Amino acid sequence: MSIVLQSLSSSQNLQDLQISQISQRDSFWNEMYEIAKKDRDVIVLAADMGAPALDKFRRDFGGQFFNTGIAEQNTITTAAGLALAGKKVYAYAIAPFITLRCFEQIKCLLAMMNIPVKLVGVGPGFSYEDSGPTHHTVEDISIMRILPNMKIFNSTDSKTAKGFARLSYECVNPCYIRLDRQLLPDIYGDQDDFKEGMKTLIEGKDSYIVTTGNMVHSALRIVKDLNNSNMKNINVGVIDIYKLPIDQNLFLSKVINSQSIITLEEHTLAGGLGSNILEIFSDNSVKIPVKRYGLNFNDKYCYKYGGRENMNKQYGLDIETLQRSIQSYIFSIV
Amino acid sequence: MSFIQRLEQKSKQIRNEVLDLCVKAGTGHLNSSFSCVEILVALYYGNYMKFNVCKHTDPSRDKFILSKGQASPALYAILGDLNFFPKKELDYFAQTNGIFGVHLQHDVPGVEITSGSLGIGFGVAAGLALAHKLNRESNLVFCLIGDGECYEGSIWEAAMFASHNRLNNLITIIDRNHLCATDFTENIIALESLRDKWKSFNWDVVEIDGHDFNEIDLALKDVRCRKTQKPKIIIANTIKGKGCSFISNEPLWHGMAPKGELAKIAKKELNQEDI
Repeated sequence: MSIVLQSLSSSQNLQDLQISQISQRDSFWNEMYEIAKKDRDVIVLAADMGAPALDKFRRDFGGQFFNTGIAEQNTITTAAGLALAGKKVYAYAIAPFITLRCFEQIKCLLAMMNIPVKLVGVGPGFSYEDSGPTHHTVEDISIMRILPNMKIFNSTDSKTAKGFARLSYECVNPCYIRLDRQLLPDIYGDQDDFKEGMKTLIEGKDSYIVTTGNMVHSALRIVKDLNNSNMKNINVGVIDIYKLPIDQNLFLSKVINSQSIITLEEHTLAGGLGSNILEIFSDNSVKIPVKRYGLNFNDKYCYKYGGRENMNKQYGLDIETLQRSIQSYIFSIV
Repeated sequence: MSFIQRLEQKSKQIRNEVLDLCVKAGTGHLNSSFSCVEILVALYYGNYMKFNVCKHTDPSRDKFILSKGQASPALYAILGDLNFFPKKELDYFAQTNGIFGVHLQHDVPGVEITSGSLGIGFGVAAGLALAHKLNRESNLVFCLIGDGECYEGSIWEAAMFASHNRLNNLITIIDRNHLCATDFTENIIALESLRDKWKSFNWDVVEIDGHDFNEIDLALKDVRCRKTQKPKIIIANTIKGKGCSFISNEPLWHGMAPKGELAKIAKKELNQEDI
């Protein structure tokens, strides 16, 4: 019944994980600052969106930063034009507005023509917890992952955010980088390169929680308690999927001997990570049962407030409910 | 033959080719193409735009963005005529084994972007123009938008962006044919005064007859030595379906090609001396 926290570059134990001192956006833009210092073709288009680290960028690289105003459609089209002329363009806004608001432009330019503009969205899931459903970003993975050429990087902590700066800069395709608004514990270390697109954070002999973004942190807590407390010697692992499309072969090699898979995401169930896993299993005739945890609005958007955990509670995605539900599911399967 | 007469002759040839390829395919936006033939002919044969057919991706070329991608037959006919690709390809327009269809496609030699979804190409043109400014390159970016396309909010987002960023290397032409797919613009949602709208967005505005090469010349001849930081918009008043009477100014002919006897009448009208 041992928890095997794989040797990430840091030797942290789960219990030691500390809330990061730096936001994901600052971590990302700090790294972009270093990249842009050496490559003057890096251009940032911000649709009236900031970050303390971006202030430094703007101050030092005036000709590489443009505020495009609250005009996301034009931000994408001008980004595409700049990129066609050889610039390496990052388009930055609150996540729903840099994806859904300008989806037609993303589809017709970035996806259809494979123009390597990098979209940077802050605030996936409920991370704008006080702002209501206009600012929640719970449909973006579904719609962005259907686009040919598009690579999605979903940040887990400030280290992934930093790593995604370099990975996206080197990527020849359009990318969508999802940065959580809230400070979360750092799971990864500075040496991790994130090239594999996923990481087994805890090995699981019987089952895995496959998760992404902020829910990775919930999964780690749930699994720790589950593995420590259950009487059946059941061992559950955690896989963090931080890049889509998923490398199917790599993923299947990790989970093929599992008796069940639990997917967990702060995103709508339709078309999200869990949906993606079901597609992979179906397409590869893998018959492992899958239990999906995510948002199901039942025709009512979330107008709840009072913190992210409280909002997630409405959908059974708070730690306490998840712990109970996942434990009972695992026991029923294994 | 004078310079103007040569351009008029070329326009007649291009209209014929556009008609032929649309009739053969049984589809294509014939009247949307006919309204902008003189504009495109001026750009490609009038020495206003720099390009090299043999090196069509040469970074020093001027860029032409056809934002109203439904006029692709006119551009394809010209690119074929200039040997950007084998002219024979025009025969396969929108058919099996064809390399291009009704809306503009970026992978066709000489074409910069895929367009057809409206209000998008214009912003790309602004981005290209900004890149050339940042690189201190003297390339110009030409862009043709439709008047119906001006209903798209993204056109005005880009209009603000371009004037704010002083993109005087961006030369935009509006094909002001007064028609959308279903009705005249002033019946749908009035666009007028277009001139005042663009002026208030801080653009350098001129208005011309878009079928008259003398007026097109007046609007384009100074584009490389402009003494203003404003981007330029040329409102080209045109006739949708120009050259063929029964499709001219007819809303219901949008996106259609004539068949049978009507195709013959269209051909005959195009080749009358006084089109």
